[in-house]
Amino acid sequence: MHPSKLQSLCVSLLIAYIAILLPWSGIGLTLRPDFLLLVIIFWMIRAPNLCNIGTAWGVGLLMDLASGGVFGQYALAYTIAAFFAATYQRRLVLFNYYQQLLYVFLLLLTSQISLLVLKMFTGSQPAGWQYFLPSISGVLLWHIALMMGLKTGARSRGA
Amino acid sequence: MIKGFNHKFEQQPAPAFFVRGPSSFARLAFFSALSIALIATDSRLQYLTALRQNLVALLQPLQAVANAPAQLYRNTDEYFTAHHNLLNQNRQYKQQLLQQDTALQRLSTLMLENEHLRNLLQANKALQESSIVGEIVHIGRDPFTKKVIVNRGANDQVVAGAAVVDAVGVIGQVTRTYSSSSEVTLITDTSLAIPIQVERNGLRAIAFGHGRDQTLDLPFLPANVDIRRGDVLVTSGIDGVYPAGLKVASVTQVKISADSPFARIVCVPTGGVENHGQVLLVSLAHSEMWEGDEVIATPKPSTKKTRVKSAPANTNPSKNHAPQ
Repeated sequence: MHPSKLQSLCVSLLIAYIAILLPWSGIGLTLRPDFLLLVIIFWMIRAPNLCNIGTAWGVGLLMDLASGGVFGQYALAYTIAAFFAATYQRRLVLFNYYQQLLYVFLLLLTSQISLLVLKMFTGSQPAGWQYFLPSISGVLLWHIALMMGLKTGARSRGA
Repeated sequence: MIKGFNHKFEQQPAPAFFVRGPSSFARLAFFSALSIALIATDSRLQYLTALRQNLVALLQPLQAVANAPAQLYRNTDEYFTAHHNLLNQNRQYKQQLLQQDTALQRLSTLMLENEHLRNLLQANKALQESSIVGEIVHIGRDPFTKKVIVNRGANDQVVAGAAVVDAVGVIGQVTRTYSSSSEVTLITDTSLAIPIQVERNGLRAIAFGHGRDQTLDLPFLPANVDIRRGDVLVTSGIDGVYPAGLKVASVTQVKISADSPFARIVCVPTGGVENHGQVLLVSLAHSEMWEGDEVIATPKPSTKKTRVKSAPANTNPSKNHAPQ
């Protein structure tokens, strides 16, 4: 297929994973965007034949390992987000730049909400409103990355 | 809703050259089922513990890479610390050492005396504890729990269940050990309970973590309980996990309302629960405790039914002790 694309997919995932593993604490931890999910969404838009729901699931397992929580939580959350990403992937062409941003934001929010529901079922304490901040910081990061010249490959009207 | 969704889904037939293999809905169903099976296995059964330990060991090099920038920053920072700063600190430490040395000398005679008295009374020996110094590497990545990772693991004979203390008080308990790191649940986590004693009057109770705000609760104590603001809570030591007499928290608020038979008591931990730093991992020598113990029959921590609050089954072994 595209060996170079596959390579850059792996490298970007590795970098995102290391970014997750950085010793975050305090405000940084509250604000930390979900780098792995952002990379997954990016590649699902750009190269849907390389990166699909199965990839998202596998990466979610890695995230579970890093977070130290119950196995399968992030895997499920990423799977659900990736499902919506795959479903609306071809409709992206109709969106303009800001609609695409909203779309990414909603995907990030989807994964966070499914994680929240799962955590509630396994009996965790309720999180405050700050819990949703990573979605906002994630979409900001996406915006910055695209401003700096990263191409999703989805042609968009307007931008 | 599902119907409408399917309808939308069908409106957009996938081009054949784009989709390989099963449809995304089938994939969603398959991987969701797999995830739910994993969640169920991991939260109710203990099959995945060994697997997780091995995988985390594999992650060690990545973790080292991720820790490198912070380490580098700390090292350069240390390198450029001014000379007189170090000298001042050194002087200060020497004074501290002197004070503590004299205290230690008194302690050793007291310990001898204590042992002698215990022999006379034919009481049990006080519990021996072994401890090891560790450093908090990073805060746990799960925003729902209060956990930290310490750089000592099974290779350093750290066992799950060991108490974790810093210079001023109890911080938490080791709940999971990996080969060269271990996970410590802080006392402010909702799933951790710690048996305490009020220093002023010896009243025993159990403190529970409150979660989001960094406080502890003392639930189920009657409204007329003798606890005041400013009371210091120490570990009672009857649980066989924490050595007796370590500071845990101080009471900041006692609220008594007419519509509740219980007092609402809020305490703030004395230890630097949320700070990066050095900690001491203390494990009591359990063998001595269970052998030849006729005077104090301590129940083995095995039942789950005595728990006051419900919590995930895999979190920690300490909260299984019956309320005193």
